[in-house]
This record gives sequence, C-alpha cells and structure tokens, in this order.
Amino acid sequence: MKKLFLKSILYSFLFLLSLEVLVRIFHLAKDNPTRHLDEYKVEKWQPNQQGFSVTGNRKQNFAEYRINQSGYNSYREFLPTKDKIEIAIVGDSFIEGFHQDYYNSIGKKIEKNLSKTEVYEYGYAGYDMADQLHLIHQYERQFDLIDHVVISLTYASDLTRNTYEVVQDRLALESPLNRLFKKSKLLVYSKSIGVFDPLKKLITRLKNFVQFKSQNETKNPNQISTPKNDMNIIYLNNFKNLVTTYGYDKNRFTLLLDARTTSPMFLSFLEENNYSYIDYSQAFEASNHPTSLIYDQHWNDHGREIIAYQISKYLKEKIN
Amino acid sequence: MLFNSFDFILFLPIVFVLYWFLFYKKLKIQNLFLLLSSYFFYGFWDWRFLFLILGSTIVDFFVGQAIHSSPTRRKKKSWLRISILFNIALLGFFKYYNFFIDSWIDLVSIFGYQLQSTWTLKIILPVGISFYTFQTMSYSLDIYHKKISPTKDFISFATFVSFFPQLVAGPIERASNLLPQILNKRTFTYDQAVNGLKLILWGFFKKLVIADSLAPIVDDIFDGYIHHSPTTLIMGVFFFAFQIYGDFSGYSDIAIGTAKLFGIELSTNFKFPYFSRNIADFWRRWHISLSIWFRDYLYIPLGGSRASTLVSIRNVFIIFLVSGFWHGANWTFIVWGAIHALLFLPLLLTKNNRNHLHTNIAQNTLLPTIKEFVQVLTTFCLVTLSWIFFRAASLSHAWNYLKAIFINNQHQSYAHPSGYRMIDYFVIIIFFIVYEYCIRKDERKPFNFKNKFVRFLIYCALLLAILLFYDDQTDRSFIYFQF
Repeated sequence: MKKLFLKSILYSFLFLLSLEVLVRIFHLAKDNPTRHLDEYKVEKWQPNQQGFSVTGNRKQNFAEYRINQSGYNSYREFLPTKDKIEIAIVGDSFIEGFHQDYYNSIGKKIEKNLSKTEVYEYGYAGYDMADQLHLIHQYERQFDLIDHVVISLTYASDLTRNTYEVVQDRLALESPLNRLFKKSKLLVYSKSIGVFDPLKKLITRLKNFVQFKSQNETKNPNQISTPKNDMNIIYLNNFKNLVTTYGYDKNRFTLLLDARTTSPMFLSFLEENNYSYIDYSQAFEASNHPTSLIYDQHWNDHGREIIAYQISKYLKEKIN
Repeated sequence: MLFNSFDFILFLPIVFVLYWFLFYKKLKIQNLFLLLSSYFFYGFWDWRFLFLILGSTIVDFFVGQAIHSSPTRRKKKSWLRISILFNIALLGFFKYYNFFIDSWIDLVSIFGYQLQSTWTLKIILPVGISFYTFQTMSYSLDIYHKKISPTKDFISFATFVSFFPQLVAGPIERASNLLPQILNKRTFTYDQAVNGLKLILWGFFKKLVIADSLAPIVDDIFDGYIHHSPTTLIMGVFFFAFQIYGDFSGYSDIAIGTAKLFGIELSTNFKFPYFSRNIADFWRRWHISLSIWFRDYLYIPLGGSRASTLVSIRNVFIIFLVSGFWHGANWTFIVWGAIHALLFLPLLLTKNNRNHLHTNIAQNTLLPTIKEFVQVLTTFCLVTLSWIFFRAASLSHAWNYLKAIFINNQHQSYAHPSGYRMIDYFVIIIFFIVYEYCIRKDERKPFNFKNKFVRFLIYCALLLAILLFYDDQTDRSFIYFQF
C-alpha cells in the first residue's frame, strides 16, 4: 500500500510536469497580459506586452495580440495630432479583439476603407459605458485631438452603473495568487476548458446547503427581479447621468450599437436628443454567413468586416 | 453518481482509504462499509431507487434459501418462479409498462379503434435496473440448478447485488464469480491495484475522448438527418459505432479497474468487438456478460443449437429479440435484435457459428491476412448498419435515416455544431483503432509494454488527449444507464 501511495504521488507529479511541458509546446493555453490601473484610475493593460490569445479546446481560435504603449491591443501607437485624421473606437472585448490577429483588427480594416486615417482601438474586456466615458474624460487632451470617437454600447450590460468606480473584481485577477496560478499554462488551459467547473459547482452546492435555511428565511434583495420597463428607465437615467458627469461631445461622438438588443425607448431618446449612432443590426441580419465565432459570442472575421464597413460608411458620409 | 464526475473523484479515494485502513480487520464490517458506500453511490441519483434494489435483494436472498431447502423439485421451481416473476415485474413496470400500453393502443388503432393513452404513467426508469435484476435472478437460477449454495450472510449478499463499480451498467456478475470474493477476506496487492488504475485510465480515455467527443456530432447528424449529405449520414453512424463502444466498454473498464482497487475481479465485458470476424464472434466480444447470461439461462434451456434446425432458428430469434428488448422499451431495439438474428442465421445454418472461438485476428502475426481483414471489415459494416436502429428514436426515424443515405441530395461538407475541426475526430479514431489492434491479445492489460518509458509516454498522450477533447458542455452520462 505504501508503495502504491508513493508511486501515485511520484507519477502524479511527473504527469503534471509532462502535461505542463506539452501544453506549452503546443501552445494550448492563452497568454494572460497583465492588468494595470494607471495614474488616472483607468484600468487597462500593462503597456508593451505581446502574446497569443487562445480560445477553445485544441486551439480553435489562435490570435496574436500586442499591447501598445497606451495599454491597448493595437498594431499602432496612439499619437493623435491636429494634422491627421484620427478615429478612436472605444469599447469592450469586441473592440479589444483578442480573437483576431492584432494586425487584422477592426481598426486596420477601417484604415483600409478610409485612406489617410489612423484608427485607435481603445478596447478592454469588461468595459461598460462608465469605463468608456471615464477613460475619454481622463484622457481629454488626447481625445480632443481625435476627430471622431465611436463608442461601442452593448445595451444589456453597459448601462448598469451611473458612475465610474474601479472594478475591484477585475483587478483582483492580478492578485499574487492569481499571478502564480497564471504561471502554470496547464492550469490556465484546464480552467479555460472548464475542468474546474465541477469543483466550483460542488463548492456552490455545499455553500447553498449550509445557507439553505437562512436563504429560505430571508430573501436576498438582489434576487428580486426588476421589471423590464423599470430596467430601461434605470439604464436611461444611468446614461444621462454618465453623460452629464463625464461629458459627451455630440458632434464627434457616435455610439455603435445593435438595435435588435437595444430598448426602443433608449433609441428614441438618442434620436430626440441628437445622439448619433451606428446600428449594425440590419447588416448582420442581411449577412449570409455567421457573424460570430461558433464557440464564442465574439464577432468572427466576417462580423468584424461588417462592423468595419459600417463604421467606414458612416464616417465617409460624415466627413464628406 | 457518474464515474466521470467530480463527485466520484472525491468518493473513490475516500472509500478506498477507509476500506483498506479503517474497516480492513473485520470482513463483516468491511462488507457492511462496502454495502453502505454502494447504496450511497446509487442513492446519489435518487434515494427512492434504493427501495427497489433493497426489495430485489431481500426477495432473492430468501427465495435462494427457500429453493435450496425445498425438498421437492416442484417446490424449488415454485420458489424460482417467485424470484423470476418479482424481478420481471419490477422490470416490466418500470421499464416496459408504457411501451406495452402504447403498443396496445397502436395495435387496436390498426383495427379502427381509437384509444386515448390515459393508462400511460410518468415513470422514472431507475438507473441500472436491468443489470441488478438480472444479477439477482441469476443467483436464484444458479441455486435452482445446483451450481451454487445460498449464502446466509445477508450483508454479503446485498453487497454482491449492489457492488457499486458494476451496479448500474455491469458487467452483469454471476454469483459464482462475485459472491465468493465478497464472502472471503480480500487482500491488497500492489499489482492488482496498479492494473486497476491502468484500466481506469484506459476507460476514461474511451469515455471522455472517444465517446463524449463524438456524442454531439452523432446527435446533430441523427437529429437533422434530412439536411445532411449521404456521406455525412454514413459518418454519423460510423461515429456512433465508436461512441457506443467507447461509452460502454469505457464504463466496463472503469468498473473492472475500480473493483480491482478493492481486491475484487469482475468478469470481462468486451474483447475488442470491432475486430470480430463474423457476427457470432462479435457477440462473444460485445457485452459478454449479457450474452453469457442469455446463453446460459435462455438459449441453452431452450435447446440451443443442438436441437432440430427449426428449433435452433427459433432459439436464435428468441435470444436476439429478447436481448434487443432488454436494451429498451422501443421497437427499434427489437428490430436491432432481429437484424442480428438474421445476420447470425447463415452462420448457424452453415455451422460456422463456433469459428474463431479462442483466437484473435493476426493471432501469431503482425498484420492480419487479407481474408481476416475482409471478414473484420464486413462484420464492422454490418454491425454499424444495425446501429442505425439502435440509435434512432423510433422505427420511422431509423427507416428515414437509412433512406436518406441513398436519396439525400445535399452535397455540402459537414461542420461541427461547436465549430471544432472535423479532422481531429478522424485522427483520434484512427489512433484508437491502431492502438486497440496493438493490444488486441489482452483486453485486461491495455498498457502491456515492457519499456517503462514507452508506457509513460502513452499515459501522457492519453492524459493530453483527455485535456484536448474534454468538453464541459457535453452531457456526460453513460448511454447504457438508460437500459
């Protein structure tokens, strides 16, 4: 029995070591860039990092990223001047584009459509409207030099806050323990394919079991659902509040949204108050090919082409 | 509790340690612990199922003793009938009740009577009921045929019925094999435990890499067969052949391996069935414990193949139809059984059904002969064709699927429902076939290579494959649980 235990431990160690090596050799796990909170309390990536983003089992999506000096994934540096035409796209992971090679990004596609234009992609996974307007507000000088700013808006998730605060949960991903965890590519890969999900579920089950009584006695106020109409009013008020707090240049700023998933009330508000927006819903619906990755909700190359075309078309009209 | 669940990964080492360290000294306590662990394992699905297994255990425990102590053959037979009736009634109610009602309604509707299905009930099929009822029945039958004597130790008998590694999907154990191992003190041996762990690894590979990765493709193709090309439909059933083999033989390997950790040897259930040279050979290699059960308790008592030709043909049909019906309350399984009976018949009539009894392909050579290769390929194609009926939801589904293979006009290539590369699946199947060919002589030793380094590389490759093909979105229950 002792021999079995000792050999099991030895073999387990050797297996883990070998798998770690194999995962690294085949580059199955994504590289995790380091997060960073700058002096303006803007959360972004630590500047000047490079690596590969991997999605799905067996490297279903493999793309290279490059974090520039400004802390965003882009092939170019963000150096706006008064002489050139610059466009900024501010948004979440869809704009950040870790699912594409950085030299084939939405920005690059727009640059191909619009000559003599530089496109700066301020994309960061998890950004909502508060993050985005706070970023523009904090980097006002830089953004004042940019001719057009396109702000991506996912209605269902981007207007849940009415003021900016640092998202501690995201930054907690940079805790010493998490950093240590990320050093093992085997762990990163296993986590990404859901190997640890049963463990998490078990912990949740145990927690629920322990808290069963108390949960039954007092209902968690967060669990009380808010009617859809009320949510729309809250989102609208949040938008108004954010715009008032951080400023919004209606002449230069344009929202990028999907009208299919945006409340009609919110769209009416935008139209009545002269907030311009690009709606890509019709273009997506008219597409004969899928616009998002199959195993991931993010846009695929075709989807990104459509987005780039929609932005280019809108800006061409606006510039002319 | 599923073998491939996190719950089992926690459960197994805890039970293993307690079994060998805390409850090792007294056999009765060790058996009681094994029984409680098995009930915990089984009750994890639904604790109400425990009453059924307990009922079946109690009935056969006392019936076994009654058969043994009955003075006359007539009385013995009466007691045996009680056991068989009770177990068949359990199966009949929980597994076949709705089927019979629906079939009756369908039958009378042919004659113009329209009945409403008000008699059908919402019955949950208890997991593994077909397996443990057969196991308990075999105990009473063996006592009746004087092959074994009944035990007076209820705890040991209940442990025999509910031994958790093989409780829900076999191998269906005979009392003559398993019960003495439970009644006698087990000793831990390093080699047995290591062999057990190796079989568990091999079983997990078959289940997680072969079966689970093919399952979404098979489901997708069978559900939307109208929209797929003939090539895709053939691929669908080809993948199902490997899915069901990986699923069921993987389960059996994990079961046999787990039992070894507890010092118990279970019967072999699979012997590389896709290397069979004819259908008779296939049935000596596929779900062996069930085939033997039917052979010993149904086929031979009916006269087997030693009776007249007509009776032999009747017996073949009975055994295959019953075997098909055992799999599920659906006409598809009965037709599946009938197809196998038809495929078996030429062998019986030409007296070739007992060929290749104790040999493998390429028994003493590296490669098979052309004849062997053609035989294996033909058998595989026939078996795979029959799987259409096994997999389909209904007879019309199976028939339409079969028809679609010949008449569908679609030509577009197939894309995985989750976007994965299709080539990966062909590569892993080819590797699997080649590897199984290499180990074809001993199903109990999947890593029987002398060189330690080679063995270690294979372990690493299997673990890597598990990581590469692991999909947390897949329904990971075993196909045979529904039987």
